[in-house]
Amino acid sequence: MRRRLDSVLASVSRAPELGLIWILAAITIYAVAALPAFRTTSNADQILSNSTIIAILALAETMVLLTRQIDLSVGAILGLCAYVVGSAIGHVGGGPAVAIALSLGLGGVLGLGNALLVDLIRMPAIIATLATLSIYGGLQVVVTNGSQLYAYQLPHWVNALYSTHWGPLPAFAAVAVIFVVLLTIAVQLTRWGRDLYAMGSNPGAAAYAGLPVRRHTYEAFIACGALSGFAGLLYAAQYGNVDATAGNGIELTAIAAAVIGGVSLFGGAGSPLGAALGALLLIEIENILAIEKISIFAQELLQGLAIIASVAVYALVRRYAQVRARRRLRLKPVEPLPAAAIEPVPITVEGREASL
Amino acid sequence: MSGFRHLLRWESGLAVLAVALFAFMASASSNFATSFTLQSLALNSTVIGFLALGVAPVIISGDIDISIAAMLGLCTIVMADVWHGGVNIWVAAVISMLLGCVLGFANGIFVVLLELPSLAITLGSMGAYTGIAFLILGGSAITGFPNSLVTLGTGLAPGTGIPWSTFVLLAAAAALAFLLHRTVVGRAIFAIGSNKQASRFSGLAVVRTKILVFVISGFMSGVAAVFYAGYFDTAQGGLGSEDLLPAITVVILGGVSAYGGTGTIPGVVLALFVLGILQTGLGVLGLSGQEQTIAVGLTLILALAVSAASRALRARLATAVPRVPSREAA
Amino acid sequence: MTQTLPDSAATGAASPVVELRGVRHGFEGVQALRGVSFEVGAGEVVGLIGENGAGKSTLVKILTGVLQPDEGSLLLHGEPVRFASPRAARHAGIAAMYQEPLIFPDLSVAENIFVGRQPSRSVFVDWSAMQEQAHGFLRRLGIELDPKTPARDLSVAERQLVEIAKALSLGAQIVILDEPTAVLSAREVDRLLEIVRRLREHGITLLYITHRLDEVMQVTDRVVVLRDGEKVADVRTAETTMRDLVRSMVGQELAALEQKRRDAQPSEEVMLDARGLTRYGYFEDVSFQVRRGEILGVFGLVGAGRTEVAQALFGIDPIDAGSIVLDGRPFVPRSPRHAIRSGVAYLPENRLLNGLVAPLAIRLNMTMTIWSALARLGIVRERPIDRSVDDLARRVRLQRGSRRRPASTLSGGNQQKVVLSKWLATHPKVLILDEPTHGVDVGAKADVLRIVAEHATAGVAVVVISSELEEIKDLSDRVIVMQAGTVSGEFATPVDEDRVVAAAYGLQHETAETPT
Repeated sequence: MRRRLDSVLASVSRAPELGLIWILAAITIYAVAALPAFRTTSNADQILSNSTIIAILALAETMVLLTRQIDLSVGAILGLCAYVVGSAIGHVGGGPAVAIALSLGLGGVLGLGNALLVDLIRMPAIIATLATLSIYGGLQVVVTNGSQLYAYQLPHWVNALYSTHWGPLPAFAAVAVIFVVLLTIAVQLTRWGRDLYAMGSNPGAAAYAGLPVRRHTYEAFIACGALSGFAGLLYAAQYGNVDATAGNGIELTAIAAAVIGGVSLFGGAGSPLGAALGALLLIEIENILAIEKISIFAQELLQGLAIIASVAVYALVRRYAQVRARRRLRLKPVEPLPAAAIEPVPITVEGREASL
Repeated sequence: MSGFRHLLRWESGLAVLAVALFAFMASASSNFATSFTLQSLALNSTVIGFLALGVAPVIISGDIDISIAAMLGLCTIVMADVWHGGVNIWVAAVISMLLGCVLGFANGIFVVLLELPSLAITLGSMGAYTGIAFLILGGSAITGFPNSLVTLGTGLAPGTGIPWSTFVLLAAAAALAFLLHRTVVGRAIFAIGSNKQASRFSGLAVVRTKILVFVISGFMSGVAAVFYAGYFDTAQGGLGSEDLLPAITVVILGGVSAYGGTGTIPGVVLALFVLGILQTGLGVLGLSGQEQTIAVGLTLILALAVSAASRALRARLATAVPRVPSREAA
Repeated sequence: MTQTLPDSAATGAASPVVELRGVRHGFEGVQALRGVSFEVGAGEVVGLIGENGAGKSTLVKILTGVLQPDEGSLLLHGEPVRFASPRAARHAGIAAMYQEPLIFPDLSVAENIFVGRQPSRSVFVDWSAMQEQAHGFLRRLGIELDPKTPARDLSVAERQLVEIAKALSLGAQIVILDEPTAVLSAREVDRLLEIVRRLREHGITLLYITHRLDEVMQVTDRVVVLRDGEKVADVRTAETTMRDLVRSMVGQELAALEQKRRDAQPSEEVMLDARGLTRYGYFEDVSFQVRRGEILGVFGLVGAGRTEVAQALFGIDPIDAGSIVLDGRPFVPRSPRHAIRSGVAYLPENRLLNGLVAPLAIRLNMTMTIWSALARLGIVRERPIDRSVDDLARRVRLQRGSRRRPASTLSGGNQQKVVLSKWLATHPKVLILDEPTHGVDVGAKADVLRIVAEHATAGVAVVVISSELEEIKDLSDRVIVMQAGTVSGEFATPVDEDRVVAAAYGLQHETAETPT
């Protein structure tokens, strides 16, 4: 019995997504069983599509959180890019490729601004991105200059994107899936990504081991900004109208999604999949509350409680699992060498040289 | 106080900045140095001032509280709701302040007793408190507070031309300054922010003190709520959320280190003044609200850049003349 | 004084891998190394021993590029080298392992080994290759550990093993182990020694720094003994005994400190009576008594459990079994605050981490423990603080200067005085000092010891934890020795040094016929 508890704890602390999937499944099953309005395809589509923007932002936030930093300006970047990119392609008339490139590029530049503040001026990330939150947000207002971007000003393909389907999935959801896959590959399967985890897990040891910590800081913030910019493009596609307040406050929902998804605020833990699932969970709950005619105002309350609960649960689970694991001595004693000594094997290390 | 000389440097810098900005604004526009503008400056700074004063001790003790604006919102709404239900406005005001203490205490329990990261917990409580506020009022608003409250929030003390709220704010600042700089509890807050472990080893009541700073933060939000209602004469879900940013900005601008252990209340007050001059002055000059916000962000960056540069400079100078304490040599 | 070194028989290497020639290093008036020379050949395990302060860690810091020698040279494979930074030393193939392994808790064992240089196919991590190679290195060392294990779940011993595997994988040729077994259990020590042997089989040169002579005898080829910054012995392990080594370390000279307390009159009244104190995994069945006016020295090696007992007495760590009677009343320490209120004071071993709030002003550090007592209704009163500060500063002979400067601006010795005065201010009944003269220059050392003696004379029950035999010997009225979590000996002064040291190293009782 205790051993089963141990293994459950161990797997949840290693991969919080597992716990989240259970919760998601449980809630979905309940909703399907209890709420007729939930069972329709159009409702499912709505949930999937609506969670996309938050999911992309949560992915953006994850890039930075993994390295033990934070970015509070993602909402402002989203809004600014939504307006600028939307107007640009609206006037010039660009296709998807141009729009995507533009949104990623502008977002990346804004993210670079964050990185410069953190690296050159040595501002703590929370203060730096607080400053850029107000600067970028202010720029957004200045640029909109009292008016807003209207749906009819956008190219047709943009407006149609929200209701398009690619196969069984809504286009938005497919986009989210693509990004989750891409980022999972980048962050969990490449050396670059594992460096980010190392940085967040133990920044001192990472620098000591010779990891290019400064360069990765820039990369993380630029990636976060780029993804936020792209989310801006999606915002324009979903809502059509983009005004001076677009994206205000959305950064907190994004961080909430990431935290619920198991991304640790201390860095080194969590996954893009978890962040996206966190977004999905939040939106699904919002959907259920709307169907049950529970005040939408309960939304924020539940989000807030979800953050506190998930932080507490993850932390306590990790602590407890660690304590129990330490109690067990799992190594077997080493056998003394036989009389015939082992031939010294030449030590080769494949892959690149240590950048020490 | 630790780093006494360093802080004096920071505050003098702020004072110089304040004077320079004031002079600049006054010369740039004849409308600036009028009593009306200055009174607006003072009134506009009140709510942010209380929030900043409340969160400064938290940051000095090494944590952070981003739920201050949400606590402000909830306290205002509860106060309004209770008053609307027939309770005397001043009793309702006291209720607001008590509620603030309770909300802050809740934050403290999670952060201190369960040892959870304060950023995450207050992020969550921010959402929770905002949500509860919305649930109470729904989408509607309560307005029309009694004259006594409105006078407190907007009126001027007779004969001085200074708003009542400014007096209260300064009194609160003085009280907090006294607490932080003249009492044992205040000394403990600084020590804990600098080195929590050594503080514990020295017998300081770490748990009690840390919970106290969160309660102070909540209490100040409750006080801010009273003045919010008096000034804006309205209570509605989502109020105050735009004040989080400026409040934190004021604290950091005031010389409180984001990592804890240093800072002064006079510094925070000076920073509040600087920010007020900046925003009001720019407003008089015709900049829009958001353009002012950009200026605020830039000011924050500038302030920290200057401090980083001066630190680097001092480090460069220090290595030229070795005065480093000896390390273990064995 | 030193024996010349015959050729190492382990390999046929002609030139030594590492050689030090006349290395000197000093810091703020303290000469840590006074011209040390020795060499180490390929595939050799050389033990480096000596008391605290003998110069071992300075030597390690020079080898690992943290410090540069003031004079003398370092040669690698016969070529003089100068490591400007730890990175340079690592590049040259020198890897060092300390008591606290540096790991990434969120990454797996395999990832920890290959951090920053994972085997890869283009940009992608080649997971199976990494697992296989990690497994290979672990297996080559005889370590059965699943490379997929998250490092967070590993014990300290297991983390050390991962670090060693990492050094192996980096192609390190010289591995320095600094007190690796201080925190390990007996089984884990055996495993570590076996792995040291395997490393040697791979032709790796090892420098094994430890206090544990039994390990030195088991696993090393040669032993180099340092004392007071000089090399006093360089012998083949097979040709020496533990007693010889001990004698080389401790030496014949007496310390220059004269703290003989001729006026010492410890009373019969027992102030602190500890019985059967146990904390699982740290110490077991520890019993001792301290009388009023008495100085009890607690001798032992690093990892013997002395600090753990002290911290438990002070309310920092829990006690699983046992009882304490303090000043005639039962005492169950709940927290440092409670302990202080009850009259116990503890000067911690790690000054910077636990003793001092570095950015805080000196005067505030000195009075931290009595802020409440000096205040009225919680309001700080500056003049009583200043008066206390002046009084305390005079008693500890604190260096002159503004007391409003941050404590970090003081030298180590003066910092220690500040921490000490903080505890003196509480007028404790029991004063526990943990390595009070660590990192403290000679002058301040004398002051600290004098103050301790004065307080004992005034009736305080003093416990001094120290690894420096000279100091404890002269200062204490009685000495208890801890070894591996238990009390292994109790002696009245004047103590027989050989027997005390034997108890600390866990040697069997030796008859005391060695001439002093």
